[in-house]
Amino acid sequence: MKLVKLTSITKKMALAAAGLFLLVFLLLHASINLCIIRDDGGLWYRNACHFMGTNYIVKVFEVILLAIVAVHIILAVIVTIENYMARPVRYAVSSKTKTHTGSKWMIWTGGLIACFLVLHCMNFYAVKIGLVEGKYTAKIDKVDAFFQQKAMKMQNGELNQKETEEMTAQLQAINSIPENKVDVKNKELVNLTKEEVFKYCGTDFEDYEPDFYTMANELFKKPIYTLIYLLVFVVLGYHLFHAINSLCQTLGCNHKKYNGAIETCALGYAVIVPLLFAVVPIYVMFIK
Amino acid sequence: MIELNSKIPQGELSEKWTKYKAAQHLVNPANKRKLDVIVVGTGLAGASAAASLGALGFNVKIFCISDSPRRAHSIAAQGGINAAKNYQNDGDSVGRLFYDTIKGGDYRSREANVYRLAEVSNNIIDQCVAQGVPFARDYAGLLDNRSFGGAQVSRTFYAKGQTGQQLLLGAYSALSMQIKKGSVKLYERREMMDVVMIDGRARGIITRNLTTGEIERWASHCVILATGGYGNVYYLSTNAMNSNGSAAWQCYKKGAAFANPCYVQIHPTCIPVHGEYQSKLTLMSESLRNDGRIWVPKKKEDAEAIRKGQLKPTDIKEEDRDYYLERRYPAFGNLVPRDIASRAAKERCDAGYGVGTGHAVYLDFSSAIERLGKDVVEARYGNLFQMYEKIVDENPYETPMMIYPAVHYTMGGLWVDYELQTTIKGLFAAGEANFSDHGANRLGASALMQGLADGYFVLPYTVQNYLSDQIYEAPISTNNPAFDDAEAEVRRKIEKLFAVNGTKSVDSFQKELGKIMWEHVGMGRTKESLQQAIPMIVALKQDFWQSMRVTGDNNSMNPELEKAVRFADHVELALLIAKDALQREESCGGHFREEYQTDEGEAKRNDNEFMFVGAWEYTGEDNEPILHKEELNYEFIKVQQRNYK
Amino acid sequence: MKLTLKIWRQDNAKSKGRFETYHLDNISPDCSFLEMLDILNEQLINKISHPVCFDNDCREGICGMCGLYINGRPHGNDDAVTTCQLHMRHFSDGDTITIEPWRAKPFPIIRDLVVDRSAFDKIIQEGGYISVSTGGVPDGNAIPIPKNKADEAMDSAACIGCGACVAACKNASAMLFVSAKVSQFALLPQGKPEAAKRVMAMVKKMDELGFGSCSNTYACEAECPKQIKRSNIARLNREFFKAKVVSEE
Repeated sequence: MKLVKLTSITKKMALAAAGLFLLVFLLLHASINLCIIRDDGGLWYRNACHFMGTNYIVKVFEVILLAIVAVHIILAVIVTIENYMARPVRYAVSSKTKTHTGSKWMIWTGGLIACFLVLHCMNFYAVKIGLVEGKYTAKIDKVDAFFQQKAMKMQNGELNQKETEEMTAQLQAINSIPENKVDVKNKELVNLTKEEVFKYCGTDFEDYEPDFYTMANELFKKPIYTLIYLLVFVVLGYHLFHAINSLCQTLGCNHKKYNGAIETCALGYAVIVPLLFAVVPIYVMFIK
Repeated sequence: MIELNSKIPQGELSEKWTKYKAAQHLVNPANKRKLDVIVVGTGLAGASAAASLGALGFNVKIFCISDSPRRAHSIAAQGGINAAKNYQNDGDSVGRLFYDTIKGGDYRSREANVYRLAEVSNNIIDQCVAQGVPFARDYAGLLDNRSFGGAQVSRTFYAKGQTGQQLLLGAYSALSMQIKKGSVKLYERREMMDVVMIDGRARGIITRNLTTGEIERWASHCVILATGGYGNVYYLSTNAMNSNGSAAWQCYKKGAAFANPCYVQIHPTCIPVHGEYQSKLTLMSESLRNDGRIWVPKKKEDAEAIRKGQLKPTDIKEEDRDYYLERRYPAFGNLVPRDIASRAAKERCDAGYGVGTGHAVYLDFSSAIERLGKDVVEARYGNLFQMYEKIVDENPYETPMMIYPAVHYTMGGLWVDYELQTTIKGLFAAGEANFSDHGANRLGASALMQGLADGYFVLPYTVQNYLSDQIYEAPISTNNPAFDDAEAEVRRKIEKLFAVNGTKSVDSFQKELGKIMWEHVGMGRTKESLQQAIPMIVALKQDFWQSMRVTGDNNSMNPELEKAVRFADHVELALLIAKDALQREESCGGHFREEYQTDEGEAKRNDNEFMFVGAWEYTGEDNEPILHKEELNYEFIKVQQRNYK
Repeated sequence: MKLTLKIWRQDNAKSKGRFETYHLDNISPDCSFLEMLDILNEQLINKISHPVCFDNDCREGICGMCGLYINGRPHGNDDAVTTCQLHMRHFSDGDTITIEPWRAKPFPIIRDLVVDRSAFDKIIQEGGYISVSTGGVPDGNAIPIPKNKADEAMDSAACIGCGACVAACKNASAMLFVSAKVSQFALLPQGKPEAAKRVMAMVKKMDELGFGSCSNTYACEAECPKQIKRSNIARLNREFFKAKVVSEE
């Protein structure tokens, strides 16, 4: 029985192609993450996040990425169920056959990664889309400009009394803003809760963004989270090693001369990329 | 009373087949669909015949004893297939292949048939290449050849050590194509239990469905039997476990003459027997004799020390080794025909020079490895060496292989005329199941050639010729009383087998029969041994019908019943083999009567009295069969004593 | 050798199966696995019970008829062998051996350890051939085929259709079997004209019959008695892609 009316190879190829896209995405993600360990108070990282959060092309890609993740997961689940149904009666003795490293566990390692993705999205992506409250950042220039604009309006008498009171309160608040919420060098307000954004920038200020830098740093200071994070990336490495071999096989990229190279590249990618991810929490936890 | 009419066309040898084809009757395409053909057996001959007839447009049903046509034992042929292509420019020709085959068969085969075989051999290679059979190629991308026993030219085409497999898969794929087209219907796991005769013609068969036990009826305008040989009468043979002579035996009992049953080929290069529990023998391809040298120790005491495990073969010095084939047959050396190589091995072992259990000789590759390098030897024989090591647990690169002759192929079979039709009208026999082309001994790489020649290039013509007037017949119905009788007969036989309800398993009888046959009707036969064997076989048959037990029932898969059905036929067939061996008071090819040998121990034919095909007619359970003789007239070649020196 | 055997017994396709335990003594290490079962069956017949049914034919590793799942491995604990080539020297005295039939939806059990593998024939019937009828073909040497291609095609063609690949695969996938046949013809010039049609039809049939899909564990390659390589599967994927995307079929 087939759950989806596509040939088995088409499904596998789609799964593999989606995986290939995710491999590229992982590289991008890892390189952005590495900005955290640059000793610039989060300048590069926040700029990167800003770019990723506001660029329209990136936004289009974000939708594509989500769709591809969905395809990858859904196809994996469907294929697994179909494959399970191909053997209605299981063997009494479990298989002793040698298999390619990680290959038998792809759905489980993938599942674990998916669970982590949920956690990850709750921590970051949900903040971005406004589902969950996180920490925010705003450029001092922009806050200033916004304030000046309002001040102008006040001078012209265009504000009502409530707004005027607000402005006064905002002015007071800014003057007593704690030091850890101001990044002088990069001219940013950081580590703000939503309430604080309104407090310091005004209730109708809209030019703030999630402060992923602070959020990441906070998370990685939690040993439990870091431990989970590191474990997940070991699992990811395991998943990736087979994944890369497997996608070459499924997409038919196979050649006597280069099979060894493919295996080596797969190993290289599967070790190096998760390591790049792992460097950040380790740095934050132990060095920073 | 049957009459043997070989129906050989008149004229020059090289024109007979062309003339036949030009004069044969055809069936128009619209009528072909209305004609039913039954093919029993899916080996090279059966599958290729069914595929070719299906492609012509006949309505074909093919029956297969195993779960798939691809299991047929043709698959196990290793070495290769002969053809007179002369790609090597070494002087080969149709005429030479013809001559070699006749000579190899010790002048006991029909000239016209053999010439036709040689003629179509080239078409077979072309056909197989077109089917995608991956024959070995040289660096120019052209077909490669190797040499084989009994020939001084390289004319054997091969696909690694799996030529039979590749050719069978080629025929199987052609068959599969026709099955897809609907012109051939495949019935797996069916065993033919009887042939159904209506008005003196074969009009169908009765089968037993091996999965459900059902007895089934199938009607047709003609029946082609391609069920292989009867080597398993000997129990230990290189044949597959399911190979049996039962179907051919049923035809014999219905009036098809059985020719030359005593011509049984003993293959020289098999892995020796090593235990009582042994179920079959494994053949090592004859191609090994290309580079391997066969020897035993020169000194009896060395042989004895080896048998006791005190000496290793590698301890025996070069000058203490007896390369007996090279010594006796300097011209052909290790490449003498199979019967000669087998007998020479037996002679050495009987004289006390055997190694291993005493029934083995060495096949040594050390000089080939020295000369060619291990890589070349591995490329040529790697898979065979691996196979040997898996079974024997010894590394043939380091220590010589041990080999011994074993029953391999049966040249005898149903008597057929030039059209491959038996003495029953409408019943054809092809491949190993017939007797036609190999005389008293088959050359290596000729079985594949014959099976495919029969199936691809002979039967499609001759069967059509037979069917040309059958279109006037009303469709054959399975409701015909002849089917009722045949089915009832089959049921009775099965019931009778269950009714015995004795104590011994069928296998124990087959083992016993095998022993009698190997010892008394084996490689070296004497009048005495044969006269001893006959009452032993009769007694065994009686014992079987009194003390055998078949467990289980007839309504499900029951291998014990299958074995019992086959054994009941085998024990009768064994008797005929012995009788035929007894009447043939000469030595020729695979039939070696020790009384008739030259001073040098070679087979001594008696052309004056025995230059005939011995075809036996069944006359009833308790009556003696009648021997009919088809005289062999050699018009085109000079009959000589076979000489490979 | 003393052995304990746990063997799957099932009377027919519909009945419920169960494991039965048997004991054997005095088994020679030089005995083959199937000969060991012969000995067991001889004992069962003497006790008037039904012997264990198992498929076997050539007993020299080429017909592909035998196939048992022995202690968690198709064809047992030796590499590159069929069950009939497995010898008892690969077991130790006192071992317990569990013997199961091939398990896969497209391979229903017929009796005991015998399964129906006609699904393989059905796949071949869809296109595992070059559509040439008898006669009218060019000379064998008319098309030179590079030696390495011919050799590779031979390696793919070596498949014996035993079904160990399906039995070993956690997904009961027949990709190695299908790919071996597709590869053989993809490598040879004779196979080119029908390449696209062939691969699509065979894959479609394979899916229809209920085989699982390939998840590249390479268990098939590890257990194939003829050492058919996984590169065939990559070639099948490539051929399939070409057929679907590039060809005009």
